[in-house]
Amino acid sequence: MASGKWPNPFLLKLWALGCSLKLAIALASAATLLIMGGSLVMHYNPAIFAGMEQEIMGRWLPEAWSRAPLLVFWVPLSGLCVLLFALNTLCCLIDWLTMVRVRWRKTGEYLVHTGFILLTVAYLWGNLSGFRSGPHRLAPGDRMSIPNMPGYLLQLEEFTPQIEPGGRPLDMINKLVLWKNGRQVLQKTIRINHPLIYDGLVILPSSYGQEIQGFRFHLPGTGLVDLASGSRLPISPDLTLVVHRFLADAHQDRQGRVMEIGSRLSNPALQISLLDPSGTIWQGWYFLRRQLPEGMVKAGIYLRPVEPVLTTFSLLTINRDPGDKMALTGGFCITVGVIFAFFSFYRKRTIGDRPEI
Amino acid sequence: MSKTLLYLLFAIYLMATSGYLLHIIWRRSFVAKASLVLIFAGVILQTALLGHRWWAAGYLPVTNLFATLFFFSWALALIYLYFELRYRVRATGLFVMLLNLVLLGGALPRDTAVSVLIPALDTPLFSLHIIFSFVGYAFFAMAFSIGVLYLCQARLNTQLLPDLPTLRKINEEAIFLGFGLFTLCMVAGSIWAHIAWGHWFSWNIKSVWSVLVWMFYAGMCHAKFIRRWQGGVYAWLSIAGFGVVLFTYLGIGLLLESNHPLE
Repeated sequence: MASGKWPNPFLLKLWALGCSLKLAIALASAATLLIMGGSLVMHYNPAIFAGMEQEIMGRWLPEAWSRAPLLVFWVPLSGLCVLLFALNTLCCLIDWLTMVRVRWRKTGEYLVHTGFILLTVAYLWGNLSGFRSGPHRLAPGDRMSIPNMPGYLLQLEEFTPQIEPGGRPLDMINKLVLWKNGRQVLQKTIRINHPLIYDGLVILPSSYGQEIQGFRFHLPGTGLVDLASGSRLPISPDLTLVVHRFLADAHQDRQGRVMEIGSRLSNPALQISLLDPSGTIWQGWYFLRRQLPEGMVKAGIYLRPVEPVLTTFSLLTINRDPGDKMALTGGFCITVGVIFAFFSFYRKRTIGDRPEI
Repeated sequence: MSKTLLYLLFAIYLMATSGYLLHIIWRRSFVAKASLVLIFAGVILQTALLGHRWWAAGYLPVTNLFATLFFFSWALALIYLYFELRYRVRATGLFVMLLNLVLLGGALPRDTAVSVLIPALDTPLFSLHIIFSFVGYAFFAMAFSIGVLYLCQARLNTQLLPDLPTLRKINEEAIFLGFGLFTLCMVAGSIWAHIAWGHWFSWNIKSVWSVLVWMFYAGMCHAKFIRRWQGGVYAWLSIAGFGVVLFTYLGIGLLLESNHPLE
């Protein structure tokens, strides 16, 4: 920047320092060395650094700092170096802009500078005011509130995992609806590499699983019936079977109390009532691994267990990065800048413009 | 991929390298020319093999150590040809092709089967990320070779090697092009990470070291403007930079756990 514009020599010196090439190299070197060392600390201390991927920096750093300041000090320090480096880059960019008429051949290089500044600001923005959450478990039909975004609801309409014959998962197709303040704002089918992106939100499939909902039985005279918690099965005009609870893994103690051990299929049981017009004629637990309870046999209900009834659920990752558009703009600037710089590099060499560099 | 063709390719590059060695000993230009023809033949064969693998797999098959070494070797040979045709660097070919032999030699004993593509890699952004990354690495490897030769020439002042200003010019060009392509690799990788994992920068060790490679070479693109660093210091930086590249490519993939494993 022309010295005539600066009345104060101190400001002039400060500006010269801000635009200094040597300062840029010193800051980049300091950040590089700090991150080099830090990356090894990171690798050998997974207990401290594992959460770095699941959280934004703004949340992870204070928590990690409180646990192990000596192991994480390099993160804010290298961040400061990168920030100062970006500031230095900004000074150089402004300096270039003031002389763009004579230095326009450097447009490519300075587009890369612009992109780097945008990326640094975008990273800061996203890591201070965004969030990362999940995996969130949703079965088809389920709705959930988006964390940290009041008024937003996410509904999973359909979920279809695609699995190849060998059993390897190929894709996870989720039909999602996004609601904002009761109004549907977006409907999208997401899959691997095709997330839902809206207002800084990124919703993507991360995995899926299956949970046991109930059991399928064969009932003579009726055929196959599915029983789960809340099922009502009319046996005859006067007799109804009601399932109060289904437990995938149940345990009965010596006092006859039944409790749930876990959600994996191991010792399934149904809590059943048999109702006729006069009221409950029998109530009790039916452990599928045991014989039919006497009350059911007396009522003439001969259920034969066939297979578990499974529900497939999707696991979704929900992140928000308000700086993502800025980051994309930065990436665009960098890409255009690199192409332009390649072109101008050879052009300059051809016309002998500073052929020594 | 047929192992026989792979060994044939290795033999071609080995003959070319030996030719450059003989050229240094005998100083007969026809030997260097014959080596160049052999490298041409090797690159054509390697391109055909790579194209066939791509066609057969349905995606750019650069997902394991064999495939990455093979691709890296192809990119290095291609880039050497570019510099040879542009600057007639002749004897520098010995060092570059030796490096290429190490890469290809590392691939030879490995399984050539195309691995099954995991769903997250099934995107053109992955192909772009890989292509820019390894072509960028190849330019850095070229800069490393030229850096070593610059230091040799500064000490030996031999007619066999290009003069110091030419070596410096090639070195700076290799760094500049490598940095530009590696930058595009980072952009493609970031966009891909955003749509595949929901964040465009990840703190896994591979991503962190990729940023380090980028920052190192960004620094080098600036360092060439410091007069005292031009030439010798720049050559040393090219050598150190390639060390960072090798650690990022092989060290992390083989020695540490990362989301870019090499098997």
